[in-house]
Amino acid sequence: MTPRLILSAVGFLLLLAANASAQVPYGRIVQAANAPQDWLTYSGNYNSQRYSPLTQINRQNVAQLRPAWMYQLKRPGVFETTPIVVDGVMYITEPPSTVTALDVKTGRPLWRWTPAIPDNVIVIGSPPVNRGVAVLGDMVFAGSIAGHLAALDAKSGIVRWDVAVDDNRKGYYLTLAPLALDGKVIVGVSGAEAGIRGFIAAYDAKSGKQLWRTYTIPGPGEPGRETWGKDSANIGGSSSWLTGSFDPALNTLYWVTGNPGPDYDGDVRPGDNLYSCSVLALDPNTGQIKWHFQFTPHDVHDWDSNQIPVLFDDVIAGKPRKLLALANRNAFYYVLDRETGEFITGMPYAKQTWAEGLDAKGRPILKPGNEPTIDGKEVWPNLQGSANWYSPSYSPRTKLFYQFTREMSTIYYKGQAKYTAGQPYTAGGGTAVDGDNAYAAIRALEGTTGKLKWEFKLLEPGMDGVMSTAGDLVFGGTEEGNFFALDALNGKPLWDMQLGGPIHGNPMSFAVDGRQYIAIPAGWTLTVFALPN
Amino acid sequence: MKASIRVCLIAAAACLSASVASAQTFTQPGEGKRLFDGLCQDCHGTNGAGDEAPALNHPLAADDATLHKIIRDGIPERGMPRVRRMTEEEVNVLAAYVRTLGNGKTETVAGNAERGRAVYARLDCSSCHVINGQGGAFGPELSKTGQRRAPSWIRQAILDPGSVRSKGVQGILQNGFTEYLPVSVVEKGGSEVRGFRVNEDSFTIQLRDASGKLYSFRKNDVTNIEKQAGRSLMPPYRDRLTPADTDDLVAWLYSLGRAK
Repeated sequence: MTPRLILSAVGFLLLLAANASAQVPYGRIVQAANAPQDWLTYSGNYNSQRYSPLTQINRQNVAQLRPAWMYQLKRPGVFETTPIVVDGVMYITEPPSTVTALDVKTGRPLWRWTPAIPDNVIVIGSPPVNRGVAVLGDMVFAGSIAGHLAALDAKSGIVRWDVAVDDNRKGYYLTLAPLALDGKVIVGVSGAEAGIRGFIAAYDAKSGKQLWRTYTIPGPGEPGRETWGKDSANIGGSSSWLTGSFDPALNTLYWVTGNPGPDYDGDVRPGDNLYSCSVLALDPNTGQIKWHFQFTPHDVHDWDSNQIPVLFDDVIAGKPRKLLALANRNAFYYVLDRETGEFITGMPYAKQTWAEGLDAKGRPILKPGNEPTIDGKEVWPNLQGSANWYSPSYSPRTKLFYQFTREMSTIYYKGQAKYTAGQPYTAGGGTAVDGDNAYAAIRALEGTTGKLKWEFKLLEPGMDGVMSTAGDLVFGGTEEGNFFALDALNGKPLWDMQLGGPIHGNPMSFAVDGRQYIAIPAGWTLTVFALPN
Repeated sequence: MKASIRVCLIAAAACLSASVASAQTFTQPGEGKRLFDGLCQDCHGTNGAGDEAPALNHPLAADDATLHKIIRDGIPERGMPRVRRMTEEEVNVLAAYVRTLGNGKTETVAGNAERGRAVYARLDCSSCHVINGQGGAFGPELSKTGQRRAPSWIRQAILDPGSVRSKGVQGILQNGFTEYLPVSVVEKGGSEVRGFRVNEDSFTIQLRDASGKLYSFRKNDVTNIEKQAGRSLMPPYRDRLTPADTDDLVAWLYSLGRAK
């Protein structure tokens, strides 16, 4: 071998080594909090706190924040992505199901992949959106509204595998960002308004083979099946359309479930309708349910519990506890023990008119007469809830849980529905009481109790997530297009900018070459902010 | 409350079931009306005679495909929500019913439109309203009032303007917010600005005062913002018009924008 060839070989090996280091092994995701320059999962890391440890942008200098670059969608749509950032590349999804890789310094596209979506694709129950990708190894994983899960090569966007998670002709589709664990990818499905039977599934990251599937409605003979009267279970919805959380130490996956169907007519499905409107604790190796907690038994208001389960530890009554907190669409804030599922505390964080409160086990004590009727019944919260899919944030510095809270009612109507595969199966609906009669607020709740610490009022109930940072900031957006930063300690507004289109997404943060950035989708544009150079 | 109710974007079509016995019966005769009453009547008025949203009892969209598309996709920029959870067949049934409204007779009114035109001139309504390009632009344009509004709505808007609320006319404020809402802003120096709200977000508000001057405030920079729901910058004409003059003025405004 000539010296030149030897040099080439060494260079090649170095290149391979660089490639290897560019990969995202499972251990790197577990340690995500120690590498705040990256944003490795939908909610930042497995505990779903949507908290950035970066401090360059802080209370003292946030007023100087300005756009660094923008990226515009290739075609219009509702833009709900949370970008993933790793090793200088940002991965976003564009509606309905396109994946795009961007140079994180400039926003210039590196590759783009659009799956085949049939013209007659069935999307019942939400806009045709996608909330982001997962990364693991040298692959990027994305769901589609056609009901597929695809694995793409992270450097080229070339498809490694592409599998149908379930049959879109029956109403199954995917909007969530998958969650990558050790060697596997977890997804849930949308489609409760079409009478699907929900499930959570794990796929082998390398081959795309399904490893397990756990239905969110028990099968015949399984515990909980008896909570579905009148033979309603097989079309009972209980979808699983939001990314869950994971505790590597407990080796437990936490996944939330949606409404039972048909949404507004509970007469055809007597019982609690397990495991709709619940959080499930699962063994990630088998999919076995370790425990469950149902927030809204026998829901009739479309109050999916598809809100982010946030994991943190704190001391309660002198005892260290591993906690799971969730601000539910039904207007109650819940704190559970995430090892056992035990209900610790819960209280309303928004106006609600349907329950007297929660009993000692966390079950709502119903106020009679708040079910939907033929003529309509006005109930708080709104059909879209006090919270929805958009993310809350928990700051370990302030120990506060930050929640974009919707204050709004709906007049709920009850109808009847007959199930036909791939058709709407809702049996009613609602008219929103909105405009000047509604408002929103960023509320800071004491993490362990839900007690209100401060609030910052906003004009419209939107779909806007928040992120807190170690700079003691809370970033958030509005339906009207404002992007803003509040003081995480007291809610004082420190900076805002009008972005010209509604924000239906969650802020995230990353750093490149020592410079911190904040990203937010608004309208049809992703805008990335930084301090002046 | 009616003015504040907007069909929920996501669940829009779902409420149709409130007035429909079964999803399987939508194609039965008469179901179009039941769909309409459940979904459309709140904004478009009884039998599509017009309310906050335009009247539908006049020749409509050029062809069935266009009408179908409008019902299915909405006109979001004008505040009409898109319809979800509705099958194509249901949209067809609803579109066919709406088409029959367009073939119907328009309402007869008691007054005389030509005399109403003179009342309009005498009251100097054109100082604030534009008709066919002429007049002051402070208030809502009235050129197509007859297309948008039922006579009863027009009458109420004249006699007691604060009791009706405008939406979807300008298409700037959406999601059920009231247009032309009177607002009083007190600046930090203590001076007050009165006008109507042109637009608003969580951090700013834009007003226009009676002289036509535009103000844009950051909410943090003012000491008070009072939104005067139930009021209008237009004076009420309840005690300033005879019943005959009122009838004539309604007839004139109702004639605007409609084929003779």
